[in-house]
Amino acid sequence: MELDYLATVLLSSLASASILLIATIGLAVVFGLMGVINLAHGEFLMIGAYAALTTTKLGIPYILSIPVAVLITMAIGAVVEILVIRRLYGRIFDTMLATWGISMAFLQLAVLIFGTVTPGIGMPQYNFQIGDYSLAGYPILMIGVAALMMAFVYFLMTKTVYGMKARASIQEPEMARAIGIQSARVNTMTFAIGCGLAGFAGAVLLPIVPATPSMGSVFVIKAFLTVVVAGPVTLTGSALAAIGLGGGASVTASFLTSVAGDAFFFLITATLLWLYPLGISAKWRWKM
Amino acid sequence: MKKSLVSIGVAITVALSAQFAHAETKIGAIFDLTGGLNIYGIQQNNALQLAVENINANGGVLGEPIEVVTYDAQSELSKYTQFANTALLRDHIDALFAGLTSSSREAIRPIVRKGNVPYFYASLYEGGACDKQTFVTGSTASQQLSVLIEWAVNKYGKKIYIMAPDYNFGTISAHWIHEYAKQNGAEVVGEDFLSLAVTDYAPTIQKIQASKPDFVVALPVGANQTGFLEQFSAAGLKDKIGLVSTNYGSGNQQVVVSPAAGEGLITNQGYFMHVDNPTNAKFVELWTAKYGNDTPIVSVAVDTWNAVNLWAAAVNKAGKADAGDVIAALESGLTFDAPNGTVTLEPGSHHLRQNIYIVEGDDNHGFKTVETFTDVIPSYEREKCDLIANPTLAKHFTPDDK
Amino acid sequence: MNFSQKLYSSAGVVFPAFGTIAVLASSGLIDPYLAYVATSWIIFGLLGLSLDIVWGRGGLLSLGQTAFYGLGGYFGSVIAINMAPVTGNTLIWSLPAGAAFGALSAAALGYIIFYARMGSLQSTILSYTFTLLLLVLTQTFRLDVGDAVIGGDNGMSNIPGFVLGFGSAAEALTPNSAFATVVVIAAVLYFFTRWLMRSTFGRIVNCVRIDSQKTELLGYDVRKYQLLNFAYAGAIAGIAGAMFGAWSNYLNPSVFSVSEAISVPIFVLVGGLGTLAGPFLGALIIGGLSFWLGGGSVGGQTTLILGLILVLLVMYLQNGMLGGLTLVWKKFLPDSNEAARLAGAVQIDTDVLEGILKDAADHAGPAKDVSSTNLFKQFGGVIPVNKISRHFTTGRPYSIIGPNGAGKSSFLKTCVGIYKPEGGKVQLGDEDITRSQIFDRVKKGLGVKNQKPQVYGELTVLENLWVAAFSRTRNDADALVICNKILGMLGFEKQSGVEASALSHGQQQWLDIGMVLCLAPRVVFLDEPAAGMTNEETRELSLLVRTLAKHTTVVVVEHDMEFVRTLEGHVTVLHQGKVFAEGDIQTVRANERVLDIYLGRREHV
Repeated sequence: MELDYLATVLLSSLASASILLIATIGLAVVFGLMGVINLAHGEFLMIGAYAALTTTKLGIPYILSIPVAVLITMAIGAVVEILVIRRLYGRIFDTMLATWGISMAFLQLAVLIFGTVTPGIGMPQYNFQIGDYSLAGYPILMIGVAALMMAFVYFLMTKTVYGMKARASIQEPEMARAIGIQSARVNTMTFAIGCGLAGFAGAVLLPIVPATPSMGSVFVIKAFLTVVVAGPVTLTGSALAAIGLGGGASVTASFLTSVAGDAFFFLITATLLWLYPLGISAKWRWKM
Repeated sequence: MKKSLVSIGVAITVALSAQFAHAETKIGAIFDLTGGLNIYGIQQNNALQLAVENINANGGVLGEPIEVVTYDAQSELSKYTQFANTALLRDHIDALFAGLTSSSREAIRPIVRKGNVPYFYASLYEGGACDKQTFVTGSTASQQLSVLIEWAVNKYGKKIYIMAPDYNFGTISAHWIHEYAKQNGAEVVGEDFLSLAVTDYAPTIQKIQASKPDFVVALPVGANQTGFLEQFSAAGLKDKIGLVSTNYGSGNQQVVVSPAAGEGLITNQGYFMHVDNPTNAKFVELWTAKYGNDTPIVSVAVDTWNAVNLWAAAVNKAGKADAGDVIAALESGLTFDAPNGTVTLEPGSHHLRQNIYIVEGDDNHGFKTVETFTDVIPSYEREKCDLIANPTLAKHFTPDDK
Repeated sequence: MNFSQKLYSSAGVVFPAFGTIAVLASSGLIDPYLAYVATSWIIFGLLGLSLDIVWGRGGLLSLGQTAFYGLGGYFGSVIAINMAPVTGNTLIWSLPAGAAFGALSAAALGYIIFYARMGSLQSTILSYTFTLLLLVLTQTFRLDVGDAVIGGDNGMSNIPGFVLGFGSAAEALTPNSAFATVVVIAAVLYFFTRWLMRSTFGRIVNCVRIDSQKTELLGYDVRKYQLLNFAYAGAIAGIAGAMFGAWSNYLNPSVFSVSEAISVPIFVLVGGLGTLAGPFLGALIIGGLSFWLGGGSVGGQTTLILGLILVLLVMYLQNGMLGGLTLVWKKFLPDSNEAARLAGAVQIDTDVLEGILKDAADHAGPAKDVSSTNLFKQFGGVIPVNKISRHFTTGRPYSIIGPNGAGKSSFLKTCVGIYKPEGGKVQLGDEDITRSQIFDRVKKGLGVKNQKPQVYGELTVLENLWVAAFSRTRNDADALVICNKILGMLGFEKQSGVEASALSHGQQQWLDIGMVLCLAPRVVFLDEPAAGMTNEETRELSLLVRTLAKHTTVVVVEHDMEFVRTLEGHVTVLHQGKVFAEGDIQTVRANERVLDIYLGRREHV
C-alpha cells in the first residue's frame, strides 16, 4: 500500500471520527450530566440544519447562520425539557420512549413545513492534494471544529458557574441541593445546551449532509451507540469512543468494503460492551 | 335475513355517501403519503388522482366514473400487506396501484395473485418481477443501463467504477453494469456497496481515486446519499472522472444538490419534466394547474399516470372490469401516447417498451437532454418472462451472480 | 374475601378467558376483512407479551424482541415452505421451528448480556445493536433453502398461510378460521405464561427484577434465571414471528427495522407493563388507531399523532390501561397492609431460636470458619482493604469497628464477593472461595445482611421468607415449614400477608435477618444490623447475635460501640484499610490510639 494512500485514509478517517464526535457531543453532555438518553437528538440536529439553511436563504452569510441555529435549537430544547423531560426525571427508559415520540412528531412536522426536498447549500469546492489523492477540504476542517467544540464544552463545565453547578448536581446531588442549587433550572440549561450543540452540529455539517427531514436518523444511531460505549465520562470518553468506532469503521471501509465498515462499528460496540459493561470510562478517575 | 337487511342498509349508505353513486369500477391506491418515502409516494398519488380526474372528465371507463380508494402506507412495509388485503377483502377493488420499493411490490404480489386482481407497479426498479397479475410501468435496471453504459463508454472511456447501495437494486444493477461493460469492451475496475445508513463517503472517494476509473456509475439512494455527490465534486474529481447514474433525479435529488456539484452529472430515466413533446406539455399544464410548480415532476409520477391510463384503456377494450378480461386486454399489445413518448405494454413480460432519456445536470437544479433512445426494450424481462406461453409463472428473476 | 377481592386476585384469568371466549364465538360472524386485520393485532400482542416477560417481569427493556421475532419468522417459514407440500399442515412445522430458533437466538444474546453482568442501559443498547446488525446483514443475505428463497431486501415470498388440515389437498384457512386459530394459540401461550410467572420460577424472576443483588445473596444464580426467562420470551417472539409470516405470506428485513423495534415497547406501555394481558390490549388499541388514521381520517398525519400519543402516554399513563384500572380498583378494596400497624415489638425467644439453629445444623452441617489472607482491594487511589488477614470461628461474635471510611463495609463486601479483590484470598472452611460467584458462596454456607434492609417491597412478608427458604430446600412444603418457624420467632404471624414495603424500617431489618436465618447459614456477616432500631430492639438483636454465635460463625460490622459492648465478643479495629487494634471491648476501649482515631485527634489520623 502506497504511503500517500495510507496518509489519505488516516486523515480522512480522523475527519470521519470528528464528524461523528460533532454529532455526538450534545447527546453525551445530556447523558453525562442528566443521565438522559435523548432519542430526539437527531431531530435537533435536523432542526439546526434547517435553521441554518433557511437563514442562509434569507441572504445572511452561512457562518452567521450557525449561531442562529444554535439559539433556535436551544430554545426548543428548553421548552421540551420543561414540558416533558422534567416530568420524567429519573425514569431513564420512559424518557427514552418519550423523546422517541418527540422525534417522530418533529420528523413529520419538518416534512409538513419544509417538504421533502430543499435545495442544499453545497460543499465549498476546496480541495488539496496528498500524492496522487485529492481530498475535499471541508470534511478535514471538521477535525478542528470537533477540537474547538471539545474545548468549548470543557471551558463551559470547568470555568463557568453553570458548569460547576451542573457537575455538582450529578456528582453530589444531595450536597448540591443542600447548598441551594436548583437542579431543575440547571437541568433545563443542560438540556438546552445539549440541543444547542446538536443544532450547531446540524448547521456545521450542512455542507456535508444536506438538510432532509430524515437526516437525523442517519446520525442518531451511531451517536447513541458511541455515547453508551463511552460511559459516564462526557468529553474524553466520547472522544475516544468516536475515534475508535467512527475512525475504525472508516479505516475498515477504506481497506475492505463499506458494509464491512458498518459491521465493524456494530461488532466493536458489542465487544466493548461485553468487556466494559458500564462503558469504557466507568472506572476512570478523570471525570471530564 | 337480518344480516342481508343490514348489508342492504350498509350498501345504501355507502351508495349515498359515495361521490359517484353509480361507480362501476373502483381502484385502490397504496402509496407512502407520510414517512421517509413520501417524496415519491405523494407524487405517485397525485399522478393517480390527476389521471382518474382526467379520465372521468372525458367520460370515465365503460361510461362511468372511476372511484378511488386511497391508503397511506406510512413508509412501513407491514402497512402494504395490511392495506393490500383491505383493498381486496373489504373494498373489493378492480385494480391496485401501489408501492415504490421492491420490497413493497414483493409484499403485494402474493396477495393480488391470490385475489386475482390486476396490479400496477409504477417505479423504476432492478427488474425481473413476473406474474400474471403484475404489470410494471417503470423502467428496469437493464433497460436503463443498456443504453447508459454504451453511451458512457463512448464518452468517457473503458474503465468503470461502481458505487451502489447494498441491497437488491444496487447489486442487480451492478450485475448489469458488469454485463454491459463486457458487451462494450470495457471493464469494471472497482466497486463499493454502501449500506443505506452510510454518511461517510471518504473511503469510497479514496477507493475511486486508487482505482483510477474513466467514469463512476453512482446509484445514491434517497436525499441523504447525495452527500456523496457533494464530496465527489468538492474533492475536485468531477473534472477528471465522469459520473453517471440511473436513479439520480428520480427523487428530485438535483434540487438538494448544489449547482456546483450537480452541473454536468449524467443520469438517465424514462421521464424528465423538461421532455419536449405536446403530450408532456399538456400533462405538465394539468399538473401545475392542480399541484403548483414547487417541485419538479419525477418519473414515478408519469409511470403512475401511464399505469392508470393503460388500465382504463384495457377495461374499455374488454368491455367489463373483470380481472381475466382486463388482463387479456392488457396483454393485447396496448400502446399509449404518454408524456414520456409512446409506450407499449409488452404482452409476454408485462413490462413497458419506452423511451429512455440521457440528461445532464445544469447549473440551476435542473436537467437538459443529451440523447433520447426511443422504444427501448426490457430485454431481460422479455427473455425470462413470457406470460403468454407460460401463464402460471410467478417468480422474481434475478441474474445469477451479482 | 368478598366477591370483588376474589375477582381482583383472579382478574388475570377471568377477563382474558371471557375475552377469548367472546372473540372465538364472534370469529365466525365478523367481516372476513376485520378478522384478517385483527389477526395481526393478536400476533403483535403476542410479540408484546414476549417483551412484557423480559421487561415487566425480568426488568430488562429489550429492543431485541423483533430480532427474535424476525429470526423465528424466517426460520419457521423456511421450514413451512418446504414441508407444506408434504404434510399440508404448516403450523406443526412453523410454530416449533420458530419457537426453537427464537429461543436459541435469545439465549445467545442473553448469555452475553447476563453473564457479562451488563448495566441495564448497556443491555438495552446491546439488544438494539443486535437488531440493527441483523437489519444491515439481512439486506444482502441471499440463500435458497429447498423451495424457500431468501432474497435479501426483496425478502422471502410464497410463505404458506395457516393450514390445519393434513395431506396435499389441505387448503389455507379462511380469514375467520385463521383468526380463531391465532386467538387459540395466543390464549394458550398467555395462560401458560401466566402460570409460569406464578410458579416458583416466575416468583424468583420477579425477585431478580426487584433486587438482583439480594436474590443472589439468597443463593440464586440470577444469571441463569434471567437467561432462561429471556430465552422463553425469545420462543414466544419466535412463534409470533412464524405466525406473522403465515399471515402476510411474506417476510423481509423490515421486521428488524427501528420502527418495528420501538413499536413493541409501545404496545406494552399502552396496555400496562408487567400485566401480561396488557400488551394484547395495547396492540389492539395502537393497531386500531393506526389503521383508522392510516385510512386518511386526519389528512395522513399518522406519525405526528402517534408520536404525540406516545409522549402523552409515557407522561400521564405510566402504568398503562390495565395498570391504571388496577390502581383505581385497588382503592375500593380493603387495605391488605393494615396489619402492619398492629405489629408489636419483636421479642426473641431463645428456645425457639436455638431450636431453629439446631435444625439448621442438622441439615446444613456444623459451623464453618472463614478467613482472609492478605486481602487487598483498591478503588482508583483509595485502598479500603489493605492486606487484611483475619480468621473467624464459632463460639462468640466477632465485631469489626472503626471510624467512617475505615474500610469495614468494604472488607465485608470483599469477603462476600460483592467486590472482587485485587489480591489475597478468602477461605470458607478449607475451601478457597476468592473467585467464587456470590450465589455459590451462599450455597456453601455464607449468609449476608447488608447495611440497608434488603427486602422485596412488593412481596408479602411470607413471600419474602419463602424466597429465602426455598433457596435452601428447593421444595415448596419444606420451605413453608421453615417460614412459619421464623415468622413465629419474629412474632410476625399476623403480618404474614402484609407487603414488606409497608413495614417500618426496624421491622424490615428484622425481616431481612429472618431471611438470612432461613438460609441456615454456617457463617453470618451482618453489616450494621442495629441501624435504625430502637434501644429495645437493639437489646433483642444483641441476644439474637449471641445465640447465633454459639451455633455459627458470626461477623458483625458495627458503628454503635454500645451495641458492640453488649455482644461480649472479639473486636477488631480497622483504620485506613488495615487492622489497627484488636482484643475484647475493654482492651480496645482502653487503647489511647483507638480513641485518637475515633475522635480525630492528630497523632494517628
